[in-house]
Amino acid sequence: MTDIAEAVRTERLLKRFGNQVAVGGVDLVVPRGSFAGLVGPNGAGKTTTLSMVTGLLRPDGGVVRIDGLDVWRDPVAVKARIGVLPEGLRLFERLSGRELLSYNGQLRGIPRAEVEQRAEDLLRIMDLAESADKLVVDYSTGMRKKIGLAAALLHNPRVLFLDEPFEGVDPVSANTLVEVLRRYTASGATVVFSSHVMELVERLCDWVSVMSRGQIVAQGPLDEVRAGRSLNEAFLGLVGAGGEGEGEEGLSWLGATSA
Amino acid sequence: MAGRDLGMNAGEAGPAAGDREKDAPASAGLDMEGSRRPGTPAATRVGPQVFVRLKLRLIAGNLRGNGVRLAGFILTAVIAVAVAVIGFLVLAMLRMAADEVATDIGIVLFTVFLVGWAVVPLLAFGLDDTLDPSRLALFPLRTGRLAAGMFATSITGVWPVAMLIVTFGAVVGLAVGVVGAVVGVVAVLLQFALCIVTSRLITTALSGVLRTRRGRDVLAISVVFFVLAAQLPNLLLNGGLSSHPAAMLHDVASVLRWTPPGMAAHAAADGGLVAVAELAFLAVLVLVVGRLWIAALRRALVMPDASTEAASVRNSRGLLTRLLPDGPLAAVVGKEFKYARRDPRGRVGWFASVAVTGVMAFSLNQGDTVTGLAQAIGPACLGAVMIGLQSSNSFGIDGRSVWMNSVVYGSGRAWRTDLAGRHLAVAVIAVPLLTTLVVVVALLAKDPLSALPAALTAWGVLGAALGVGAVTSVLVPYTVPERLNAFTGAAPGQGGIAFAASLIAMVGGGLLALPIALPVMFGLTWVSALAVPYGLLISWAGRHLAGDIGFRRYPEILTAISQGS
Repeated sequence: MTDIAEAVRTERLLKRFGNQVAVGGVDLVVPRGSFAGLVGPNGAGKTTTLSMVTGLLRPDGGVVRIDGLDVWRDPVAVKARIGVLPEGLRLFERLSGRELLSYNGQLRGIPRAEVEQRAEDLLRIMDLAESADKLVVDYSTGMRKKIGLAAALLHNPRVLFLDEPFEGVDPVSANTLVEVLRRYTASGATVVFSSHVMELVERLCDWVSVMSRGQIVAQGPLDEVRAGRSLNEAFLGLVGAGGEGEGEEGLSWLGATSA
Repeated sequence: MAGRDLGMNAGEAGPAAGDREKDAPASAGLDMEGSRRPGTPAATRVGPQVFVRLKLRLIAGNLRGNGVRLAGFILTAVIAVAVAVIGFLVLAMLRMAADEVATDIGIVLFTVFLVGWAVVPLLAFGLDDTLDPSRLALFPLRTGRLAAGMFATSITGVWPVAMLIVTFGAVVGLAVGVVGAVVGVVAVLLQFALCIVTSRLITTALSGVLRTRRGRDVLAISVVFFVLAAQLPNLLLNGGLSSHPAAMLHDVASVLRWTPPGMAAHAAADGGLVAVAELAFLAVLVLVVGRLWIAALRRALVMPDASTEAASVRNSRGLLTRLLPDGPLAAVVGKEFKYARRDPRGRVGWFASVAVTGVMAFSLNQGDTVTGLAQAIGPACLGAVMIGLQSSNSFGIDGRSVWMNSVVYGSGRAWRTDLAGRHLAVAVIAVPLLTTLVVVVALLAKDPLSALPAALTAWGVLGAALGVGAVTSVLVPYTVPERLNAFTGAAPGQGGIAFAASLIAMVGGGLLALPIALPVMFGLTWVSALAVPYGLLISWAGRHLAGDIGFRRYPEILTAISQGS
């Protein structure tokens, strides 16, 4: 089992919502130990793909393997290996940050003393020690992402999935998140995160998968995908964006002083 | 607060404000009240029909492509139509009764309707799905329009329409002549409007009160008053001649006649000058209550959503969680305790259960016909079922955050443990509560010995209700909005499924409770010894079933409980 070089591999992963195909046969590959970015415009199917990969959404077809284990056939083994930070980030709002971490650790069957030790470390590193006993409902977006990441890391997962971890996060918190993630991948673990901030992906990732309209349109090592251009240029070329100036005439009222 | 301040500034600033409004329509968007100038030039009037259409679209959108939800909606619609038709006919048939009696019955029924509208939304989450007004906070709506719009969305629904039809039966049943019919129609409309705004005012105001710590304390004390107040009609009933129903009815009606709904019914039957005066009073009352509702709403909108307990919480572990072995069970129990204390929705649920059970207990206690044992058992079992009902959508209460559990649970067994933790937490609160209730009632009934079988039976019924609730939690889960039940119970269009879930849980729990509750009530006291094992068995079976179902369909449960409202 350990000879498998890929941390994540999906085969023809498919999801429909009614008549709409959200994810149309995706073959996502992430090599073990990489810091991988899943990029794509809004509605490309990033969140849907990550939800299916992490076992939160049932696929209509295809296979998901994490470390060679089928997510939907062998959930116990897979769930012990992965950490998840979903989009939107609904947390147990009426628990304090510390309580949230210890709830999470206990759910996973980690001994209480160990949970408390790890929670203390994570809270300190995430710069949340002062707010540890405040209710999560009173946390800011950046704090929520940090406590979410702390909860996802608590059981020391092998693969970490983060859906838009930097969205709405202030630079200081973002920096903390980046530092923690770098340290984590340096130990040989895998991070997969979705984003549409190209500069960030370019700065952090060594592996990129580009999604557009429910398909993977490019995938590989960062330098291969961007092929000498900036990732942003490569991305715009891949997803077929262009058409500047469209709709300008229809906006004549915008900014006009008469109305 | 910001909107109000801006509005006041705009009003005081005179000509300059006019310019600013022209230049920056966005600032007018926040000018929600206070300004007396007409709306921005481009704005057309936003009538209530816009809100009605919005509500209908939300309902339709939520039903689209979801068979279970559609089935729930259809079930609700069918039941509502049946209620509307039967209710209408019953009221219309008052025509056949003597005038005096018909008026009396009308008065009592109208009062019951109003009380029903005031109380039921508090007890049953999700029976009525209104628009969340916070979504409207940024639109440039003046108080009047917002009120009209919110009122329009409130009456757009299966139950309000059914209620309106039923109430119209009173016109047929009570009104005399053409003028009488016109007065009757007005009376019915006012009664209906009063029901709606009262119901809204109570839920909205309560949600505001429950946000503060002091409010919670006040509310806890007010439970006692609520129970006592509910005794008034009861005392009247028992003070009258219970052997002579017509006289008793007349006694009750002669008092209720002076309450607002009584006036509405009286006006419909009277049709004269007195009726006109009564209607005028009712109209003013509706406006005042409506105004209060909107004021409460505005306050709620600009108040923070949370209970604003920004202060740190004590990082303590309860005795029970310390006793329990380390692991998921202890984690869930601890979390449930914290939620029962910190989540306003949980508090409303407990408040309602205790209040209703208390009222029931004292009401039954007034009669002399039932024995001490039945007096104690009836309310205790009802309370047990009601507490169980709160667990009929266990995961829905947690909402989207359940993902945190589902990324951990890899087997049916894990889901079973989760449910067991929830049940344990509920039982730890409910068992002493039920016991206290039973003991108090038994003492009042001067039959202290009946407390033991009654308590045993109630515990057993609680177990059965929890078992059924576990199954409904995984079979018919629905979204409970974050913003308490004040504005809404379920997301629009999910009202049906919420109703179905409550109904299944109540009927299922009730039926499974019968095998132990009935024999005990009829004097086979020894059966109560079996009640607790029976309850444990049912709750175990429920958890077992629900754990497996939950594991098999947790992605679907997650989707169902994460609907936006």
